[in-house]
Amino acid sequence: MALSKPSTPSMFKKKSGTSLSAMASAASYLSALSQADARARGQSNGSPTSTPALSISSSITSSSQDTVLHEEEDYADGLVLPARPPTSEQVFNTVHTEFGHCAQEEYRLTSKHTPGEPVPGHVDADPPYYILFSTYISYLILIVLGHIRDFLGKRFHAASYHHLIPRNGYAPLNSDFDSFYTRRLKTRMDECFSQPVTGVAGRTIVLLDRMSPDYNHTQLFTGTRTRALNISSYNYLGFAQARGGCADAVEDSIKRYGVSTCGSRLEGGASDLHANTEALVAKFVGMEDALICSMGFATNSTYIPALVGKGCLVISDELNHASIRFGVRISGASVRMFKHNDMNSLESLLREVISQGQPKTHRPWKKILLLVEGLYSMEGTLLNLPKIIELKKKYKFYLYVDEAHSIGAMGPHGRGVADYFGINPRHIDILMGTFTKSFGAAGGYIAGDKVIIDHLRVHGHSGPYAEAMTPPVLTQIIASMASIMGVKPPAPAVSSGHSLRLTSPAPSVQEESYVHPGPVPHSALPTWLNLPPELASGEEGATRLRRLAFNSRYLHNGLIKLGFITYGHPASPIVPLLLFNPGKMNMFHRMMKDRQTPIIIVVVAYPATPLITSRVRFCVSAAHTKEDIDTVLRTCDEVGDVLDLKHGLPRSERWPIDEITSKAVELAHMMK
Amino acid sequence: MSSSSGTLEPLFSFLAQALATAEATFNKLPGSAVIQRYVRSSHQNDPGRTLLELILVIFAIRTLLQSRTRADRNGTHYIQFEDKEVKELVDEWVPEPLAPPLSATEEADLYAVPVVVGPNSAKPKLLSTGKTALNLASLNFAGLAGNEHIKQRAVETLRKYGLGSCGPPGFYGTLDVHMDLERDIADFLGTEASILYSQGFSTVSSVIPAFCKRGDIIVADRNVNFAIQKGIAISRSTVRYYDHNDLKSLEEVLQAVEKERKKRRGPLTRRFIITEGIFQSDGSMSDLPKLIELKNKHKYRLMLDESYSFGAVGRTGRGLTEIYNVPASKVDMILGSCAIGLCAGGGFCAGSQVVVDHQRINGLSFVFSAAMPGLLAVSGSEGINVFRNTPSIFESLQENVRAARAILDKVDCVTIPSHPASPLIHVNIRGATSAWTHQYPSSPPTSAGLHPHSASLLSPTKHAKDMASRDWDLDLEERLLQEVVEECLSQNVMVTRAKTLKNQELVQARPSLKLAITAGLTKKEIEKAVGVVKASLVKVIGKRR
Repeated sequence: MALSKPSTPSMFKKKSGTSLSAMASAASYLSALSQADARARGQSNGSPTSTPALSISSSITSSSQDTVLHEEEDYADGLVLPARPPTSEQVFNTVHTEFGHCAQEEYRLTSKHTPGEPVPGHVDADPPYYILFSTYISYLILIVLGHIRDFLGKRFHAASYHHLIPRNGYAPLNSDFDSFYTRRLKTRMDECFSQPVTGVAGRTIVLLDRMSPDYNHTQLFTGTRTRALNISSYNYLGFAQARGGCADAVEDSIKRYGVSTCGSRLEGGASDLHANTEALVAKFVGMEDALICSMGFATNSTYIPALVGKGCLVISDELNHASIRFGVRISGASVRMFKHNDMNSLESLLREVISQGQPKTHRPWKKILLLVEGLYSMEGTLLNLPKIIELKKKYKFYLYVDEAHSIGAMGPHGRGVADYFGINPRHIDILMGTFTKSFGAAGGYIAGDKVIIDHLRVHGHSGPYAEAMTPPVLTQIIASMASIMGVKPPAPAVSSGHSLRLTSPAPSVQEESYVHPGPVPHSALPTWLNLPPELASGEEGATRLRRLAFNSRYLHNGLIKLGFITYGHPASPIVPLLLFNPGKMNMFHRMMKDRQTPIIIVVVAYPATPLITSRVRFCVSAAHTKEDIDTVLRTCDEVGDVLDLKHGLPRSERWPIDEITSKAVELAHMMK
Repeated sequence: MSSSSGTLEPLFSFLAQALATAEATFNKLPGSAVIQRYVRSSHQNDPGRTLLELILVIFAIRTLLQSRTRADRNGTHYIQFEDKEVKELVDEWVPEPLAPPLSATEEADLYAVPVVVGPNSAKPKLLSTGKTALNLASLNFAGLAGNEHIKQRAVETLRKYGLGSCGPPGFYGTLDVHMDLERDIADFLGTEASILYSQGFSTVSSVIPAFCKRGDIIVADRNVNFAIQKGIAISRSTVRYYDHNDLKSLEEVLQAVEKERKKRRGPLTRRFIITEGIFQSDGSMSDLPKLIELKNKHKYRLMLDESYSFGAVGRTGRGLTEIYNVPASKVDMILGSCAIGLCAGGGFCAGSQVVVDHQRINGLSFVFSAAMPGLLAVSGSEGINVFRNTPSIFESLQENVRAARAILDKVDCVTIPSHPASPLIHVNIRGATSAWTHQYPSSPPTSAGLHPHSASLLSPTKHAKDMASRDWDLDLEERLLQEVVEECLSQNVMVTRAKTLKNQELVQARPSLKLAITAGLTKKEIEKAVGVVKASLVKVIGKRR
């Protein structure tokens, strides 16, 4: 493919050109697209399934390599070409397969909390009894069958069990009891997991097709590829792109900085880009200082132990992420859990632990740290931040909010839950988040007061021992974050080139409500970084935020109106759809993937969720167009009928699918 | 008597009526006759059994109704408070600050960390001086940093895959380039398979708990790196330590464990030896053939952390297995770092197919973390290609190491615990320095070196014992070595002290200079740079002795 042959010079030179040449290439791309689209529409009047291969690639490759369309791809699936032909005024500078073209202003929404509206807690699903019953029966059958197979297999087919049986003095590496779930339950639905892919995890993704000849013990690649609509990747703002301003900046940084910084932050791996990024992150989230870590998981697992230790208490939501649990376990602090997102449970726990003190000795706790997530990755529930801040004032605990999924994805300015609720982030002690999701990069950050961050820099495990973040990743963070914030054009009197610290102070603690920090000054970015105007102005960033907000609400409310049982906050880009029966996971996955427009989804089951609430988890992206969400809803509607999944609304209150797609705007504005 | 029975008459009649209704309802239930018959016959046979069964039923109901959370409200230590008292206690409670401010030394150290402007390589430009320095601090053993071909391939990958993978490997985060790198590593080392983690440091602390569970036995070197220590801590296995790099001590520990097991007649559990190839803490090297002999004899599995030896030693950079000419399949799990060895990012664990497949579901930071960016995986693969095609880089690396050691070994005031072939060289101050403190009262008053907060994280008694048993002064040596570092920096040679987490390590390593020799510099340049280090050592430490 494109990777194997040396790239044409135009590919690299294009970006250094003036805006005029960019316009020219955009315009030619546009004309090619509209031609192609006109042809596609002309043909779709006939039978859409038998569309002959379109011979349009020659007219497009001349513009730039961005838009190479491959002859062998089938355009009838609506993935490669936009469903709505662009008009002459519209200029799109993204590749439709990575970031969908959508110019309709009505398909935008602001992600914002309406003051006074109660924050929905977590409501357990309530399916009909026969569903519950059949789910339990399914698991029972699976477990019984599994044990029978183990029993017989060990006697008649010992060869395939020898890694589970003690052999010449070695205990088995994993006991058959521990691996029972994996072998006997997960293997049956292995086709839903670990699907290898290639290319950009953007609006669409290319699957490397595979099949299993032996009931999922081995997976073989068939050699073919399938492009599918991707509603699974954590690509909330659609920054997973191989083209565009951010990718250009990353390319520039690889050429300037290389791939690695060779070492840990405290031992010769520190670079000026690190300081740049940390200052920018602090400004973005509205805290005094921030530090970054090369892996999101490690951000929690290596820095939490530097905050709490023996004699400290951690209060943790029962559904917190594995990395938080890892960090807490290493820290040696005591842990207590409260019911997921249940503020009453939290308050009664707080009253108990403060009044009782440490177990047995009854000494007061040194400190209490509340560990919660902004947006929960499996349920889509949003943290009840206003209530927690209220409790924090009363009970004096420290607050650590893991914004892995909410940063960039929530709030009118994309600054996470504090922004969404209009609360000053300085009321939170520690904001943690990752760059993997909304920013299309990797790694994580911790932001807070400078004293705390400096303490973590010295005492956190990552500082001296873990590799520092690499320059391409740093640049992706800087470029994507700056394009959400917008860049203040340089003042006439240019300040010094290497100002690594930002001059404007973070909002003070006294402010009650959220104060938007405004665009980032040009001097805070690396001097060589040149963002294209649409990114530098912050316009595209704002559009991405508003597209994500619309798509999230539209999909969530659409699924509800179709009659499905969903979880989570309507504004959350994570939309879980409940399946219950384990057998339906395989079927749902396969039926979505085998459509004319293949859709790939994530199914999650025990142990990531409680046993009975197996679910599909959609991750909406700003890269999706309204038509993509229509496709998902339409497919869910059909699959839901076949699999008997619509138990959320009585039949009379459901909307037909055509009504949903035509009233999308009204639906998205509808409060739950 | 009669009067009392008269007053109880209505009660009896009510009871009789209630009993009759209950019996009627019971009889209406389907299957009630069977139960009735069962109870009757069992009572007839053995009246004691009825009582026993009744107790069992009550116990079962109680267990079902009991709260499943750990809240020990009914525990003996629970004190019942009134609402008002709780309010008072809440109002009175004053928590400690979340993080205490840094001490003056810590702050000075933090700001003294050298920062590179622009690309890091064998000759980076430093922010503090604005000049180009010779780099003996960054981990760039094979000199891959800044390799133009790797950069070119990284850009190509970026243009095809974008940057982030935007998902964990289980959910559409596995790219074909990840699988390629996994295969490349396995082929390169000669194992069946390998698995990639997205950070080198987090690799081993995930691999250990994936295999070692409660009740399993881990025998580990006392000076293993911090990541291994944390992995062991989280695994909850039984752990025994042996003296640093002392295989005699290892054998004794193995025998002791076996004896203990025989005595207790415990079941056969998984047993692991965990150690490092080249130790992060001092650069010494394990004797792999002897380790393998011992592990085979005592039926242990060997987990070898090659973070500092993979891509650093051996004829083509394959690490310890190549130096000792041991097939990699003899080691059960080889862990390495693509960030250190290949100048890319992430880490790996190589071993048999069973070992690798197990981690794909049980490796915590594999399952719960996003896959590494595609371009880092490709950079790793290209790094391996470079190793394969130009093994001469490891010859020049060894030459550089020999040149450096030739100079350093002659310095009187230091000792070097590192293996002669190790490109990671630790330099300690020679002799007992604890006596020096009295001669040089200039050492700051906080010389106990104990940060009030971090000290509280460990048991104070253990730490005090550590302090008493050693004849070197932690703070004094750190201060001296920091002076050496700054002296070198002023002469445009970038070096660093070994940074450790004080009071969190199992064994506090003696302060040292940590030199990373690179093949990216010529022998002349290495001699020049190490010459500067030598001069600085003599200047700062020599005059103190």
